[in-house]
Amino acid sequence: MFAFPKWINLLRPGVALALAGGPLYAAALAYYALWPATTTVGYQPVQPVPYSHALHAGELGIDCRYCHDTIERTAAAAIPPTDTCMNCHELVRNDSQALIPVLQSHAEGTPVPWLRVHDLPDFVYFDHSAHVTRGVSCVSCHGRVDKMEVVSHEELLSMGWCLRCHRHPEEHLRPVQHVTDLDWEPAEEQRVQGKRLMESQGIMPSEDCSTCHR
Amino acid sequence: MPPVSQQDLWRSLEERANAPAFRQQLRDRYPHLAALVLEPASRRGFLKLLGASLAMAGLAGCRRPEERIVPHARRPEGREPGEAEHYATAMDLGGAALGLLVTSVDGRPIKVEGNPLHPASLGATSALAQAAILEMYDPERSTAVARRSGGSREERTWHDWAAFADEHFAALRASGGQGLAVLTEASSSPSLADLRQRFGAAFPQARWTEYEPVSWDNEREGTRQAFGRPLRPHLQLHRCEALVCLDAELLLHHPDAVRHAHDLARARQPDRKVMNRLYAVESSYSLTGAMADHRLPLRPADMPRFIASLVGALLHHDARGAAWEELAAVVGQKNPAPEDTQELRDRMVHDLVEHAGRSLLVAGPRQPAAVHALVAAANTLLGNDGWTVEYTEDTDPDRPQHTDAIAGLAGAIDAGEVQTLVMLGGNPAYDAPVDLAFGDRIGSVATTVRLGLYEDETSALCSWHLPRAHFLEAWGDATGPDGTVSVVQPLIAPLYEGRSSIELVAGLLGDGGPTSGRDIVRRTLEPRIGGGDERWYALLQDGRLEDSARAPVQVSLTPAAPEGEEDAEIPAVRADLATAWSGLAALAAGGTGAGLDLELVPDNRLFDGRFANNGWLQETPDPLTKVTWDNPVLIAPADADELGIQTNDRVSITAAGQTVEAVAYVMPGQARGCATLPLGYGRRAAGEVGNGVGTDGYPLRSTAAMHHIAGAGVSAAGGTHDLACTQDHYPLDPIGEQGMERRIDDLVRSADLAEYRHHPDFAAHVVHHPPLDQQWKPHEYDGHRWAMAVDLNACNGCNSCVVACQAENNIAVVGREQVEKGREMAWLRIDRYFRGDADAPAVALMPVTCHHCENAPCEQVCPVAATVHDHEGLNVMVYNRCVGTRYCSNNCPYKVRRFNFFKFMDPQTDVEKMRFNPEVTVRSRGVMEKCSFCVQRISAAKIDAGNERRDLTDGEVTSACAQACPAGAIVFGDLGDPESRIAKLHTDPRAYAMLGEMNNRPRLKYLARVTNPGGDDDGDHGTDHADGPEDDEHGGQH
Repeated sequence: MFAFPKWINLLRPGVALALAGGPLYAAALAYYALWPATTTVGYQPVQPVPYSHALHAGELGIDCRYCHDTIERTAAAAIPPTDTCMNCHELVRNDSQALIPVLQSHAEGTPVPWLRVHDLPDFVYFDHSAHVTRGVSCVSCHGRVDKMEVVSHEELLSMGWCLRCHRHPEEHLRPVQHVTDLDWEPAEEQRVQGKRLMESQGIMPSEDCSTCHR
Repeated sequence: MPPVSQQDLWRSLEERANAPAFRQQLRDRYPHLAALVLEPASRRGFLKLLGASLAMAGLAGCRRPEERIVPHARRPEGREPGEAEHYATAMDLGGAALGLLVTSVDGRPIKVEGNPLHPASLGATSALAQAAILEMYDPERSTAVARRSGGSREERTWHDWAAFADEHFAALRASGGQGLAVLTEASSSPSLADLRQRFGAAFPQARWTEYEPVSWDNEREGTRQAFGRPLRPHLQLHRCEALVCLDAELLLHHPDAVRHAHDLARARQPDRKVMNRLYAVESSYSLTGAMADHRLPLRPADMPRFIASLVGALLHHDARGAAWEELAAVVGQKNPAPEDTQELRDRMVHDLVEHAGRSLLVAGPRQPAAVHALVAAANTLLGNDGWTVEYTEDTDPDRPQHTDAIAGLAGAIDAGEVQTLVMLGGNPAYDAPVDLAFGDRIGSVATTVRLGLYEDETSALCSWHLPRAHFLEAWGDATGPDGTVSVVQPLIAPLYEGRSSIELVAGLLGDGGPTSGRDIVRRTLEPRIGGGDERWYALLQDGRLEDSARAPVQVSLTPAAPEGEEDAEIPAVRADLATAWSGLAALAAGGTGAGLDLELVPDNRLFDGRFANNGWLQETPDPLTKVTWDNPVLIAPADADELGIQTNDRVSITAAGQTVEAVAYVMPGQARGCATLPLGYGRRAAGEVGNGVGTDGYPLRSTAAMHHIAGAGVSAAGGTHDLACTQDHYPLDPIGEQGMERRIDDLVRSADLAEYRHHPDFAAHVVHHPPLDQQWKPHEYDGHRWAMAVDLNACNGCNSCVVACQAENNIAVVGREQVEKGREMAWLRIDRYFRGDADAPAVALMPVTCHHCENAPCEQVCPVAATVHDHEGLNVMVYNRCVGTRYCSNNCPYKVRRFNFFKFMDPQTDVEKMRFNPEVTVRSRGVMEKCSFCVQRISAAKIDAGNERRDLTDGEVTSACAQACPAGAIVFGDLGDPESRIAKLHTDPRAYAMLGEMNNRPRLKYLARVTNPGGDDDGDHGTDHADGPEDDEHGGQH
């Protein structure tokens, strides 16, 4: 008959520690994994130009598409060329200290090296035009950019987060003309309106892997 | 497990690491690794690198990578960041241009397509054009001006060159160009032709020489003998009812190969009223031979006898007019054919005459001018001119033959007449005839200037090397085979400050003319398009100048009466034809000597060797041998038995007093008595990819014997060298191999025309199986159902699709050793099967890629659902889920899944990264991959259509392979649209599913091959000629 040798007893404190500490460790790990900062929510880098979306998009009411002009046609939402800034700033506040990098870029033809805030993994192929032209507002993924002094990462942008909307688009759809209206509120209940839009426009988001991964 | 094997493994690795051969291999294939492993001093560097990358990996793992978005300061009008743009351009190769549309993303050209408006392309491309992207981004292209003197090399700048050239060429201008010579590769550029005129004016004493190692000069000389002046024939294969190819490869590396593939596929549609019948007589298998209904393998020494006999029999079979009778009298009655070939010869004659006016004889570029002259005469006599063959004027009728030209230049150098030699492209130190010892002669010229893409064999001997701009980087112009003018439009600024030939020559003239490429081209084309912008931009947009093709000319075998003697008696045919006949008769009487005939041919993949540093082409299997990274010498099975040689044996080839070592490949269908060695390998200074790969055949090639060398000796040299061959990877054991062989006829189904007419759906009845019940609830599809069809009757194996797939889908090049282990990554392969007698077998070619089975065996065994079905029927591969069990690959009946055993895709330089298609994930180590039906193209088209609130139209989405295919053999589309082309092809009587009896329900169907050998009664091949729209021109191209 097999019997544990006596020295096995020496391991008992270790086993006890593992039993007691294990759940604690697991809990800590889960907490860390789900902590928003781990998923880069709240990421708010300092940009080379202290550009304020709150001022331009919010206070002055410039439409998102004035600068991000390709969102209805292309996959990438183009970051505006310096020329777009200079359309106004040729005349407006062209003596501001904050504008120096922009003026420099304009004069020298060198780009302004903005920092990317919303960054999907390289194996994900997201297309802005496919969403914007079907009535998914900027606000659904980017938050109230028109209230941000410095743009920060608001939403999770994880695969589960994407799929939630792909499965229930009615929670986010709005008439296409209000897509860049970040503070727009539906007159009726969102779900009812969303369902109606889905039907009238034939919107059936796909949940296939091939929709986003190639 | 006993530890012995492990110990052995380590010991043998160490031994191998010390072996010089292994060290050399490592250097050749993995230069980056070699630098780290082999150089003792850099071992520390290796550890340092390892440490650094670990540290960086650690940091990168903890912190979000900081990524920059760098927008334009001034965005060009119409540019949308991240979107693909298409520009029309053209690729000039050997003096004929192929019109292209190049896709560019954010200013980086990433993919080449054919230009549907260009008559030589018709929307398709060659494999070489597809591979141009990799060539442009090759980090080993020359990057700087180099000055060599007394064995030392110094890097200089273009300023230094200008300082030297201004003075040097000013002095030459003053002396009228005394002692100046230019050697250029063949070019179809009108601008270069124009510059050459001006060059002649600035340097009246200078020589201008053109040389190409692979040249159609014999054909040019043949037309001169037949018609009195050099002409360029244009074959209209789609109108050919009977086509006889004499050593003629029409489908690969021919200047008009892409159009030929398209036209021949049309002519061979079995549903045409009269299907084409194709005869091929050749020494080694060509793609044309693989398509032929009757193929006769004949050694080069027997070829003149056969051709003389064919011409004789043809002329004495029928008589149509004075010219016919006169030539028949010259040719004489008795011209014995080689043994056992009379029957085939008589069938050829019968078909050529029966279909006179709609038949065609073609001779290949290796046949002597006399053969071309008689072939041209035969076509004229048969009334084929103007219908199956058209002729246009040669652009440069006074040009000497390439071989004579370079021999003349070598003579001039010897005579001390050349002090300054400017070489534009080409690589004469590598590919000039060996008896000219051109490398030594370059060394004896005081000042030698070389403009080249690579600092190669020739540049190493020159006092100045100047980096050449790739055609995708520089302005230029080019003309298609039929004379259609295109502008070569740059897609990107030169990566390495290269300049084009026209820019360099314009700079030497000092006549105040434009020196920037764009201005030179505009100046040249101004007489044709005017000075205004409108037609210039229309030309850039279309990629070709409409109606600029040269008009076909009327030809006649009868010489024109001399001036003033209109009444004089003139013969019905030119005297040159009688001379040609006696030349051919003399060759025919020569008979076969002792030893083998060695045939030197351009390689099916690397052409003449200029593309040797292109990994895509090196790793693309040869269409017939399926060998990668090598050019084995092809030997007939009977000869191999006699010589005691097997495939993979090292052999030495002795011909014309020279000996080279090669590796043997016993090739079924190779003519007995003929050994064939492809040219273009054994490069010494191609770059790390191409150096030392294969055997250099040029040392055997002399001005006296450029194509065939009689009395060559091939003998075993001892030892073996394993060829990296992709076809024979999969049989597990002899039983498996036999099983596979038994199944070949089930896989590649074919019938002859009579059987097809009788049973159009013969392919559906090849394999009998019980009813296929669904074990599971089948997938339901209510939208698109993507599918593919491959017409085995049209596919000629040109490899264009294979390279297109590689470019489109960021497929890795794995190198020779990995291919040997069966780890090549190509998503699309072309299987090659032999059928019948080993001495004269038929060849069946079959492109195979993922079949996107509806009941996919791979999906059922993946433990992590990394390969799943989507709602449009695509069998998708999710790289991020894949853990690399490889169960899917084991369960795939088609063996189309590819596993990344290493991180094959590991670009070392930023320039290499630029070539990737940004729409396709670059796969890393440890994941499975396979054909995705170009899902990125499907997504892009669906999103575009959705944005515009419309449905997709048929043909809007096509896969890269289908788009590249010159023969239209691959069709991609949506089965959900019952009116689509693909839906019709899937219900075609010829359609069958390979291994469909396994109940996979594949979305890829093949259209069975139909051959047209003709029976004894020839009843299916009547004389009723089809006169209808199907015989018309290409969809309004002309």
